[in-house]
Amino acid sequence: MKKTFARALGAVAALALTAFAAQAEDYKIGLSNGWVGSEWRTQMIEEAQAAAAAWKDKGVNVEVVVQSANVDVPGQIAHVRNFISEGVDAIIINPNSPTAFDPVFAQAKEAGILVIATDAEVSSPDALYVGIDQKAYGAAGAEWLAKTLDGKGNIVAINGVAGHPANELRVAGYKEVLAKHPDIKLVNEVNANWDQAQGQQAMQNLLATYPDINGVLVQDGMAAGAWKSIMDAGKTDQIAATGEIRKDFIDLWTKDKLNSGATVNPPGVMASALNVAVLMLQGKELKEPATAGQYENAMYLDIPFIDSSNLAEAAKQLEGKPGYYSYTDQLSIADAEALFK
Amino acid sequence: MTTDLVAAQPARGNALKRAVERFPFLPALIILVVLLVLNGLYQPRSVSFIGLTGLIKTYLALMLLAIAQTYVVYAGDIDLSAGAIVSLVNVAIITAMDALGGGTGAVLAGLGIGLLVGLACGIVNGIVVATLRLQAIVATFATSIFFTGLALYVMPVAGTPAPTAFWRTYGGRILDIPFVLYAVIVLAVLLLVLARTKLALRLLSVGDDQQAAFQSGLPVTRIRLQGYALCGLFAALAAFCITGDTASGDPLVGGKMTLNSVAAVVLGGTALAGGFGTVTGSVIGALIIGLIGSLVFFVGTPSEWQNLVQGVAILLALMAGILVGRRASR
Repeated sequence: MKKTFARALGAVAALALTAFAAQAEDYKIGLSNGWVGSEWRTQMIEEAQAAAAAWKDKGVNVEVVVQSANVDVPGQIAHVRNFISEGVDAIIINPNSPTAFDPVFAQAKEAGILVIATDAEVSSPDALYVGIDQKAYGAAGAEWLAKTLDGKGNIVAINGVAGHPANELRVAGYKEVLAKHPDIKLVNEVNANWDQAQGQQAMQNLLATYPDINGVLVQDGMAAGAWKSIMDAGKTDQIAATGEIRKDFIDLWTKDKLNSGATVNPPGVMASALNVAVLMLQGKELKEPATAGQYENAMYLDIPFIDSSNLAEAAKQLEGKPGYYSYTDQLSIADAEALFK
Repeated sequence: MTTDLVAAQPARGNALKRAVERFPFLPALIILVVLLVLNGLYQPRSVSFIGLTGLIKTYLALMLLAIAQTYVVYAGDIDLSAGAIVSLVNVAIITAMDALGGGTGAVLAGLGIGLLVGLACGIVNGIVVATLRLQAIVATFATSIFFTGLALYVMPVAGTPAPTAFWRTYGGRILDIPFVLYAVIVLAVLLLVLARTKLALRLLSVGDDQQAAFQSGLPVTRIRLQGYALCGLFAALAAFCITGDTASGDPLVGGKMTLNSVAAVVLGGTALAGGFGTVTGSVIGALIIGLIGSLVFFVGTPSEWQNLVQGVAILLALMAGILVGRRASR
């Protein structure tokens, strides 16, 4: 009797132990994407899913559940609430609004869920941002243009969506750089809403109004369109303009030897955020706490830059990929581990 | 005695028809119940008390915007600027509350200003559509751009937190009951009162046959204008809920809600051509949209299919509603 009891107890203990072990290395991570209008977002999710699968080699099971649809702000708040109902360990979100999620993130944190925003910063003190610094993105393009133009000339800027936080930060970034180059004159700025057709149209109008411009600051998502207008106007060798990271543009860039430089906002940011999330779920601590940015909750990733010096390398990475595929970069598990104690 | 029986028989056969006639939102209600059951099956926690409170907290704004939309649709009009009004009121009240110091007085003053802004937007729409007789669909599309521009002028980029007292109230509990449930009860009473006013009936008769309404002596222009004004007021209420649930100002927050509000109205059994419908249906329609979004996730749809499945599901809900309605009216 006693023996059976002891054996049963042992079995229970063993079961409990395995259950505990399984629980410790099994994570469920929710990915929320509130806009599906570009291949960049699709690639972002695919890379994050691949990153989750890669943890298997380390003996960690990362299950990802995805909510990705065109939603309004309440719709994406519902994404977060659904993840809370689902009982995920962490939520990684590409947010539709920088400020709207404060209360619902607080709720998620109360439920013991780690929240990481990527691609666009959020104001919530209960969340972390892992992604690039959009201000540095804008600055990098302007630095390249200033250097290419030897610090003088007339330029125009084509911006994204007015009022969108990433756009405002990028604009602030390039303005800061331009302030240091007084001989570069920004003669006009227009909004083309990150739309290729609108970018092309805007560039056409700008070329008609200012036939003597030397440079263009245009963000990705519109740059290919803008470049098309520049090429149609036969000004390819007179104008330097920022470019894109999509394969079809990089091919064109190589073929026609465009005078271009592209700041990379890699779709791998969500995968990077996922690797950081898993390490945090394992209870590891960051060497340097994430306190960057205007909301003091950001951890900025390096921003790659493509120009004529490394264009061939970028083209090589994209060889054999479809035309809409973007040049990418992410924190590998090892890279991420190096950031932790 | 016998005549009574004869009269009763066809009536019994038409019970469904009469029920749908009296409660046009009945098909939508059935769909809502089915969706709740399905959500519960796939994720029991989503229909727990906390889950349902979360659902209402999230979609109260869309419910109110759908109600706003219903009043103009009653008269056969449409308001494509409803979402832009939400954005404008959102940034207006946040800016006002912030400027006034963020105390209780500031919150109340901010809400008052919000109602005025909503009303003003509604009146602008009313003047453009009813008085100047521009096509509603195009005119309100134009005013939506105008209102968004104003919102961007008031607050160029998202930011500025709402006073803590405000969003803690919205997200919190009073006497252990979530605040939003009180809001729902107040809303129900308000709708009941509005449904009994002359205005609702007049809007419906204008939508049913504008010419006939005019010939029977109704002030058609004024009635349509009042419909837009009421729409503006409810859009302002929707903005209050958005602000309560997001605790911040965002000049682009409401833009995408417009078409959802139209979809909710139609799902609720209201005719876009005007003259027929209920606000209750629109409230249910808003919940249907929310529940479909959640269900698509809970059943485990792969991410690349979610948009498609969600669209198909909304179409199915629409068709189911129309089929039930048609069978009933046969």
